[in-house]
Amino acid sequence: MRLRLERRLEQRWWHAVAAPVGAVVAALAVGAVFLAIEGFSPLTVYRELFKASFTSAFGITDSLAIATPLVVTGLAAAVAFRMNLFNIGAEGQLYAGAIGGAWAGLALGPHLPAPLAVAAVLAASAVGGLVWALPMAVFKAWFGTSEIITSLMLTFVAQYLMRYLIFGSRSYWRDPESTNFPQGRKIAEAAELPQFGTYRIGWGLVVVVAVAVAVWALIRFTSVGFDMNVVGTSPEAARYAGISTVRVVLMGLLLSGALGGLAGGIEVAGRAHALDPNGLELGLGFTGIVVAALARYNPFAILLVATFLGGLRNAGVALQTLPGARVPVEVSLMLQGAILLFAIGAEIFVRHWLRLVRSGLGPAAGAGLSTAADPGEPVGPAGRAEVTA
Amino acid sequence: MSDGDTPGASAAPPASAPAPGGVAIALAARRVTKRFPGVVANGEVEFELRQGEVHTVLGENGAGKSTLAALLCGLYQPDEGHIERQGRPVRLRSPREGLARGIGMVHQHFRLVERFTVAENVVLGDPAQPALLRRADIETRVAEIGERFGLPVDPRARVSSLTVGQRQRVEIVKVLYRGAEVLLLDEPTAVLTPQEAEALFTTVRAMTAEGKAVVFISHKLGEVMAVSDRVTVMRGGRVTGEVATAATSARELAELMVGRPIEAEVRRGSPADPGTGDGPATPALEAADVRLVRGGQTLLDGIDLAVRPGEVVGVAGVAGNGQRELAAVLAGITAPSAGRVRVAGIDVTGRGARAARDAGLAFVPEDRLGTGLVPGLSLTDNMLLTRRRGFLVTRRAARREMATAIDAFEIKTPGTEAEARVLSGGNAQKVLLARELTGLGTDRGPRAIIVASPTRGLDIGAAEMVRGLLHEARQHGGAVLIISEDLDEVRSLADRMVVLYRGRVALEGPTDELTLEEIGLAMAGVAGAVAGVGAGDGAGDDAAVGSP
Repeated sequence: MRLRLERRLEQRWWHAVAAPVGAVVAALAVGAVFLAIEGFSPLTVYRELFKASFTSAFGITDSLAIATPLVVTGLAAAVAFRMNLFNIGAEGQLYAGAIGGAWAGLALGPHLPAPLAVAAVLAASAVGGLVWALPMAVFKAWFGTSEIITSLMLTFVAQYLMRYLIFGSRSYWRDPESTNFPQGRKIAEAAELPQFGTYRIGWGLVVVVAVAVAVWALIRFTSVGFDMNVVGTSPEAARYAGISTVRVVLMGLLLSGALGGLAGGIEVAGRAHALDPNGLELGLGFTGIVVAALARYNPFAILLVATFLGGLRNAGVALQTLPGARVPVEVSLMLQGAILLFAIGAEIFVRHWLRLVRSGLGPAAGAGLSTAADPGEPVGPAGRAEVTA
Repeated sequence: MSDGDTPGASAAPPASAPAPGGVAIALAARRVTKRFPGVVANGEVEFELRQGEVHTVLGENGAGKSTLAALLCGLYQPDEGHIERQGRPVRLRSPREGLARGIGMVHQHFRLVERFTVAENVVLGDPAQPALLRRADIETRVAEIGERFGLPVDPRARVSSLTVGQRQRVEIVKVLYRGAEVLLLDEPTAVLTPQEAEALFTTVRAMTAEGKAVVFISHKLGEVMAVSDRVTVMRGGRVTGEVATAATSARELAELMVGRPIEAEVRRGSPADPGTGDGPATPALEAADVRLVRGGQTLLDGIDLAVRPGEVVGVAGVAGNGQRELAAVLAGITAPSAGRVRVAGIDVTGRGARAARDAGLAFVPEDRLGTGLVPGLSLTDNMLLTRRRGFLVTRRAARREMATAIDAFEIKTPGTEAEARVLSGGNAQKVLLARELTGLGTDRGPRAIIVASPTRGLDIGAAEMVRGLLHEARQHGGAVLIISEDLDEVRSLADRMVVLYRGRVALEGPTDELTLEEIGLAMAGVAGAVAGVGAGDGAGDDAAVGSP
């Protein structure tokens, strides 16, 4: 008997749901092992985790506060991933967006009425992210340079640029009053996204839901989205239909970058109210990759998943203060990593399934996992594994 | 170093099988069945390879040849039945286990590391090599093997600097070095020039002279007759016949391959067509002295072609003689290196696929799911794939159109919103034709239609319907260009034929006036006498296509 991975002939809707849910369950199971090794009761920790993030009004709103930027970084990753492009630099685009957004809040904010000032911050942040994504997009579209490398490298550049602006120079962004510990200058009040009462969430949440709907509509109802789907899934069909791959790749990556930047703007206008390196360097951009993978690139699923992962992060802090058992904050980060790993691994089960097969010769002699290639490409799948071509 | 000498096994006299009776069977498949989801790739296949012979497995695309080869070398494991080596059942769990039993496969797509030298590639992954490679020894042995079998390669050359033909030699040396007594060559001549192919045949003969046995996988009748001792013909995953080459003809093999008498199907639609003659009508599709050079290789070499309204022209030829490139150039997907392409009199050369379509061209590519259709998109969206779309995608009309097509063409699908990937080959082809032939006969319909391998892989009913559609397209004044490696298909559909050989038009004429022999010779590239350049419309200097 052997285990064999076979392509599903029929795909049902629940396959797409079961895979990510299974991934989360598997990640929690792995996490439980580590918790047990550390001497914690996994069930207690998971219960506390849930309680801290999703049972009280403040718990839920704090989770949503973290989820807010995650929705946009998740969308940034998803837009690119749908096209088989891996912009993993939403983190850097977020910093660039924060720089742009903070500039608009400082320079334009004082002269504009509130809604326009906020709009200016968000627009400037999107432009900041787009500009930051420009080298990646251009080099990918025309020269095929790996967007993974360029986007990751530019993330570090953005990070140090942001630190330089606040800690290393007397820049426009730095608060001249703060002499002992350098801080960012506060943006105009008109440029801030209003909060809901005393909760830590505000209009930013409304903005990101609107952005998610907009991205969905773009993919579903516009020719740009249509072309992105074609280029992402069948480059050959794109060539055949005369769709310019260069143009579509360029637009897709720039859109992805603009979304990453927008996340920075939402953080500046909604929470930090200044260019605040310490408050921004939370890995929101990187977590967006997890969000996108777990949501299988669906904009609405991203809203749900971002809330879930926001809760996980929120609980990470709460767990540290758990009476009697101080669970390290790293637990929630580790769970997040495990979820990404399993989510990517589970992806294959959406289209494939495992089947037990009896071997041809004699009774079961040895078990192994073999993959069955598609029948259409018997031995040497063209275009793949052509080492010499 | 006794360890290092292990690969030298091939130098020793072939360890002959305990031969049962007269001829020793080197390798055999016994009622082997291999299934893939939804297909039986090999069904109860029987195959016997004798010691010292060249045995061809012949069949059309998708007949199961490559699957059989993969089973024989250990890449796949049979679901039922078993493989025998020298009369004894063996289980090959991997190509490495196959090699350990002296079975070596040379793949159609090479598996070489470009940055490594020839010698390094030869020993790459060889379990018999010691941890520290003894370069000098390896290089000497590689050179020695090359000399013995007529495979001259420099062991120190980097693979990146080698030609395609030389790379293939490296692949062959690789399996010989590891002691292969049985060699499986998968479509080896597909990438070779005729001269290189001839050299390969010499090598094959040198190998069999030493008692090695060779399985030759091919769909090219000519070389099959030239090189092999026996032929096993496959169709639809089953063996349809096994014959000695000496006792058969190319014609008989072709019939076994296709599964029906070849002449019987020559039945074209009504001969009453408007513009077959050299009427004054402007060609709806025209190529003038089209050339395509890529990577130093001339793929299309001065093609002149004209398809007039109401005419069906067929392009025949052995695979890899420029058909695919010609289709891509005519459809605007690839820009030619020289020459012009006109659709309905409009010059669309190098202006892209959209421009060609706007001028009135429709194109049904060979690869239906993946090129012609996007597997992950709904049927409705696939209807829109090649259309001009505004900023917003409006699906209503396309959905209605698709629903009509589903009824009219009896397309089996869960609905208009089902993903294209669920379609069978025949249904995918119907969807493609429905899209490409939309508006036929009206002003916004296509003027010229290129169809590659229109009925390949379709069952009889679907194939009939596709023929009917193409016939209808012609009746409506459409100019139809059929490009296919299936000669019968071309002969049964086309009014006029063009035979491509190495990127040139080797033969051209009305289908009824060309004999099968003439066509066959032209396909094989020995048609110098009959080669005539079509139209001869003053294409200039290089227009004369003589004998090579």
